[in-house]
Amino acid sequence: MAAGVRRLPLTVLVAVGVVALVVTVLVAVTIGPAHLAVSEVARSIGVHLHLLGAGGAAPVPTLHDAIVWQLRLPRVLTAAAVGAGLALSGAVMQSLTRNPLADPYLLGLSSGASLGAVAVLVVGVALVLPLAAFAGALLALVGTLTLARAGGTLTPGRAVLAGLAVSQLAAAGTSFVIFWTATGDSYREILAWLMGSLAGATWRSVAISAGALLVVGTVLVVSGARLDAFTFGDTSAAALGLHVDRTRWTLMTLVALLTGAMVAVSGAIGFVGLVLPHIVSALTGPAHRRLLPVAALAGGTFLVWADTLARTAFDPRELPVGIVTALIGVPVFAVLLRRGQGSAWS
Amino acid sequence: MELTIAGVGTRLGGRWVVDGVDATPPTGALTGLLGPNGAGKTTLLRLVAGLLVPQAGAVMVSDDEPGPGPTSTAGAAGAVPPRQVPVHLLPRRHRARRIALLEQESSSAVPLTVRDVVALGRIPYRSWWGTDDDPAAVDRALEAAEAAHLADRAWATLSGGERQRVQIARALAQEPALLLLDEPTNHLDVAAQLHLLAFVRNLGTTTVAALHDLNLAAAFCEHVLVLSAGRLAAAGHPADVLTPALLRQVYGVEAEVLTHPRTGRPVIAFTDRSPVGPTPRPQEDR
Repeated sequence: MAAGVRRLPLTVLVAVGVVALVVTVLVAVTIGPAHLAVSEVARSIGVHLHLLGAGGAAPVPTLHDAIVWQLRLPRVLTAAAVGAGLALSGAVMQSLTRNPLADPYLLGLSSGASLGAVAVLVVGVALVLPLAAFAGALLALVGTLTLARAGGTLTPGRAVLAGLAVSQLAAAGTSFVIFWTATGDSYREILAWLMGSLAGATWRSVAISAGALLVVGTVLVVSGARLDAFTFGDTSAAALGLHVDRTRWTLMTLVALLTGAMVAVSGAIGFVGLVLPHIVSALTGPAHRRLLPVAALAGGTFLVWADTLARTAFDPRELPVGIVTALIGVPVFAVLLRRGQGSAWS
Repeated sequence: MELTIAGVGTRLGGRWVVDGVDATPPTGALTGLLGPNGAGKTTLLRLVAGLLVPQAGAVMVSDDEPGPGPTSTAGAAGAVPPRQVPVHLLPRRHRARRIALLEQESSSAVPLTVRDVVALGRIPYRSWWGTDDDPAAVDRALEAAEAAHLADRAWATLSGGERQRVQIARALAQEPALLLLDEPTNHLDVAAQLHLLAFVRNLGTTTVAALHDLNLAAAFCEHVLVLSAGRLAAAGHPADVLTPALLRQVYGVEAEVLTHPRTGRPVIAFTDRSPVGPTPRPQEDR
């Protein structure tokens, strides 16, 4: 880059992001009702990964080890993967729809995924939970885009309105299904699916969310150049050598898949996908090959802290993490709306 | 790049928007694409760019660059040199390295610098893993479009003329052998219009530009194609094509065609009369 808009090299940004995420994970695991030391956390992880001989350093007390390995670490890692996945999904959606307000939550994908997940939970086949969430996200996406296009061109404002409608419908469906099958604390369960919660995270959640992130996220990051081609719209993308429809639907399906996997383990957490890409692009510039990896790292870090706040701020009560992300996300959303009063929005 | 438009036609919503157009724009020169609103100029440009598949005929281009050949030569019209290939059958990326299209309107909600915009033109050259957009090629394009001084400005803060210049730089970053411009002088002041067309003419790249201003076309184009309701009404040197009869037939306007005293180019002077017979004038005695 020439003087004036000096942008840090991608390697520096990624290195800083990785360090921040690792430190965040280690520190977040120490925080909670039982306070642990970072060294204990590191030792516990080391022993479980067979990096440390059990007889080496001072052993971690069994209770602390259980808190680290069975409670906090799966939750923190799930938060990191979900945050990264949602930030990636948001960045990709914003590019494909040329809509700075696009985000899996605002466009209804997250609620659709929740509905899909809840619907199969009733049937009791938890194995297909992520797949059902994916199907729900995909249906919601198609619904939103169809509704937004009906009788006019797809503008950012129309897309958000259509997303709102689809989102409300799916949320109502989710609530209905849970009420209908109520087995205990249905309010808490509804809240967890609609506002998002990482309270139930297990190693299985880590496997689903991190697995989806690695596979789908890698494909999305590699597609960065294609996303750049959409900057000035479809015709311009085609003139730059893209098969526009095929690219758009492939990437949209991948976003639905990623969102579905994330919602399956965490419910519908809002604003991560909306806000993080905008903040990160101020550092990286708009090129997606730079933006996407950094947005993923920042999203992971952000959600770990948001979840840590959610589970500790009103200890022993726990907030749904969506409340925290909304408290941070809505002001940023307002700034975006103000900034976007100009041309390209309506 | 040699370009042959051979009997090209396409329908949109059942209507032939472009209908049997045959034309051979001169190689290495600026061709003006004229015609009233809705005559099919934008659609023809998209056909020439290979973005639309013609439902009749074919747009043939010489493809002398080494690269993957077309997947098939089906649909090739006769009477063209054998080494020309239908543009819509060229592999997409390869085509994007040979042909650049500038749309009428270019807007983006993304905060971009001028350099970001120009770097988009390098997308057809990017490898799967590369993050690098060949800064030298971006610089060359910025220089060539006389936009180097704008490189670090925010795209959103540019004037209309500056934006157009940057979009041209983006197209040049594709290193095209065929440049297609859809009303590039829209929203530009007169100095910027003259500057832009002189610049494009002097590139030496085969260029087809849709233009609204007939006098600009007359002054700068070596060749003009006049479209009327999707059909080619006339083609040739502006001095031969832009006659009062043609302007009446295609645009429904009355005009005198003069000769520029210095350049010898046609100058069109419109007269204030309605297309169908003289307008009744106000009574002299009222």
